[in-house]
Amino acid sequence: MSAVMEGLSQLNDPVVLLCILIGALAGMLVGAFPGITATMAVALASAFTLTMEPVQGLAVLLTIYVAANFGDRVPAILVNTPGTPASIATTFDGYPLARQGKAGLALTTSAFGAAFGTFAGLLVLIFAAIPLSRIALNFGPAEIFALVVFGLTMIVSVSGSNLLKGLAAAGFGLALSTVGRDPIVGTERMTFGVLELSDGLPFIAVIIGLFGIADVFDQMLTHHAATAKPIQSFGRWMPNRMERRQMLKPMAIGSGVGAVVGAVPAAGGDIAGLTAWSVSRRSSKNPELYGKGSLEGLTAGDTASNATLGPSVSTTLALGVPGDSVMAVLMGSLVIWGFNPGPGLFAAQPDLVYTIAGIMVLATVLTLGLSLLRMRGVTKLLELPPHYLWTVVIVFCLVGTYAVNNSTVDVLAMIIFGVVGLFMRRLGFPPGPVVLGLILGSMAEANLRRALEIGGVSNVLTSPIAVGFLLVALASVALPPLLRIWRSRRADRRTAQTINQ
Amino acid sequence: MRTTFRNTAMPISVAAVSLLALTSCADRAGGGEEAAYPTEDITMVVPYDAGGASDLSARTLAAELETELDVSVIVENRSGGAGSVGLDYLASQEADGYTLGYLPVETVMLGHQGYDIDPADFDPLGQIVSVPATIAVPADSEYETLDELLEAAESEELSVSNSGTGSIWQAATTALNEEAGTQLSPVPFDGGAPAVNAAVGGQVDAVVAGVSETAVAAEDGRLRVLAILDDERADVMPDVPTAEELGHDVSIGGWGAIGAPAGLPEETHEVLVDAISAAAESDAFVELIEDSGNIPVNVSPEEFQPFYEEENSRFESLFAEE
Repeated sequence: MSAVMEGLSQLNDPVVLLCILIGALAGMLVGAFPGITATMAVALASAFTLTMEPVQGLAVLLTIYVAANFGDRVPAILVNTPGTPASIATTFDGYPLARQGKAGLALTTSAFGAAFGTFAGLLVLIFAAIPLSRIALNFGPAEIFALVVFGLTMIVSVSGSNLLKGLAAAGFGLALSTVGRDPIVGTERMTFGVLELSDGLPFIAVIIGLFGIADVFDQMLTHHAATAKPIQSFGRWMPNRMERRQMLKPMAIGSGVGAVVGAVPAAGGDIAGLTAWSVSRRSSKNPELYGKGSLEGLTAGDTASNATLGPSVSTTLALGVPGDSVMAVLMGSLVIWGFNPGPGLFAAQPDLVYTIAGIMVLATVLTLGLSLLRMRGVTKLLELPPHYLWTVVIVFCLVGTYAVNNSTVDVLAMIIFGVVGLFMRRLGFPPGPVVLGLILGSMAEANLRRALEIGGVSNVLTSPIAVGFLLVALASVALPPLLRIWRSRRADRRTAQTINQ
Repeated sequence: MRTTFRNTAMPISVAAVSLLALTSCADRAGGGEEAAYPTEDITMVVPYDAGGASDLSARTLAAELETELDVSVIVENRSGGAGSVGLDYLASQEADGYTLGYLPVETVMLGHQGYDIDPADFDPLGQIVSVPATIAVPADSEYETLDELLEAAESEELSVSNSGTGSIWQAATTALNEEAGTQLSPVPFDGGAPAVNAAVGGQVDAVVAGVSETAVAAEDGRLRVLAILDDERADVMPDVPTAEELGHDVSIGGWGAIGAPAGLPEETHEVLVDAISAAAESDAFVELIEDSGNIPVNVSPEEFQPFYEEENSRFESLFAEE
């Protein structure tokens, strides 16, 4: 108990509180700016915070981390551009909701879901960091490969109405993931001599192109002053009682999925959001609404991507392995401050965990408040005539994408994938599976090859965790059609019986 | 008459003023340069992402360079292609002393791995950091010493994780194989921490990583560091013997230097060498590098140049045999 008090008493300092406020404002801003990710913001801020007291520095960095994961929902919902990759799933239902004149409701729901997810994830950090880190330690290449294969089965649910087109899009994404140097032997593959492509396609630029730029292009082409009105009314802000009740189940699913995905090293909010969205859809009473403006889908995705924050931090602290890319940057600062992430940290400095959890709770409350307040101001932005709004969106995307790596190749990729996305949209191919294929394809490949390098096929097949995930993956592909056949047969038999009778 | 005078006077005076401005500019560019370098902000290119170890070293040194040179030193991250994107950019910049860069050990490795990077395109201005390689096994491993590990690796293939394909740690594994005639099979991961973690979790038989990366896990008792592949023992793990002490002549590891595009004017070169040497000696820099578990050094370009060339030919033969 004294560790709790000691940890929390560190926050009783006006400078720390000020740091949290600064972090919250900065984080929401960078989150809302497409292209500039939380990782980048934390990396840049860490150059300044290194000279600060550790608690103050942590207050700035962790708050940026939390706040960016709220801010990135705003462009996802309003202009179909994920502010950071963590809000890809937000675009699936958030943007359709906004187009239906329910932007206000979408923004508040998303903010509440995100806050709920963050708190759920923090519980994991506070109570389960050590046991969780033991589980995460068992995730070697073979296990991560199996987990990713399971992730790939989600293509079926993010495909929308046309499964064949969804699979084609996923295949395209998987093919794109082979661009770059081979992860094991390092030979060049489809880089065409472009140095910038040797690490693969610039992932963030591709996402912004496929979602944001493609949508702006699409609107520009279909724009008729009379018909294509941009989002003007926000509608209601607060969910009503029925909607609140609707949100409970996806919140629970999102928290669970987020906690697991967050704890696995290197898997972050983007994967969690997509997974929870599809898991929630499968267990929903109204799966047909998903992707067309379902509050459940929105809640599930946003709860899950934010529920990864706590477990990510706990994996990082307890294992010394970054839980996601932001944590990789934060670990550098921790080491310099003299905290050595690893199991020893919890024994040596148990209060630090509570300080960190305390900072993140304050950050979440503050950011939730800010997002509910500030979102009303966003209305003004949307009252702009569409051609101004398009210009603003495109300029933001260009600047943000360039800023990631100071690279014009990234900007070029964004524009090319904007055009690709436009064609896909026109021909009815969903962009979600492309992103899923691109993220998971390279993870699957690298980890499978590592596993084979270490111990051949038996390395995968002798791991209970890996085999478990592979079986679940198989079941999630094979069961739904089998069930459908079984049900229709039973229905046939029943009708046959009734006729006989 | 008056108006005509005015009409002609305007363009003439404008022309005169611009001419004056031009000459003063030319004056600054010509005569002023020798006396006053640096007069403008300096850009420091880091070929890796912000927030990593190389970035932190470069940023801290840049801050110290600002006090030495009295101009701003702006760090610019240009990551990608194992560092080749940033290095390629640095090589393409003008050698006027206003674009510097962080040169990692990869500068002498990439050219032999199919990247279009030539170490001769850079003027090293001083080495600032050294990161010796270590080889470690899981705490519950049956191998207690380097010799036991190498002996086992003579007859069977042992998996050894490292931070990535073509990394210095993978090269270190190959170098160890060459020296000891063993079959350590390198398994590249996506970064140093996951590689160390694979050893902690027992997914691989051993890991080769920088001393800063294995030190923490060794302190906790999750890893056993068998040897450090350097000429001297490291302060963070004084009990760990060097490979040489154990009879294996392998010394390999990461390093970081500050460099510029080749062909700097001599005087600029001198100003920079002095400033970098002073910055590398500063308390702030030394403390940061030591805190991160690495070794701060201050090696002059005269001393560094032969090492730089030696490393280049060493990796040429190492990668040729792979």
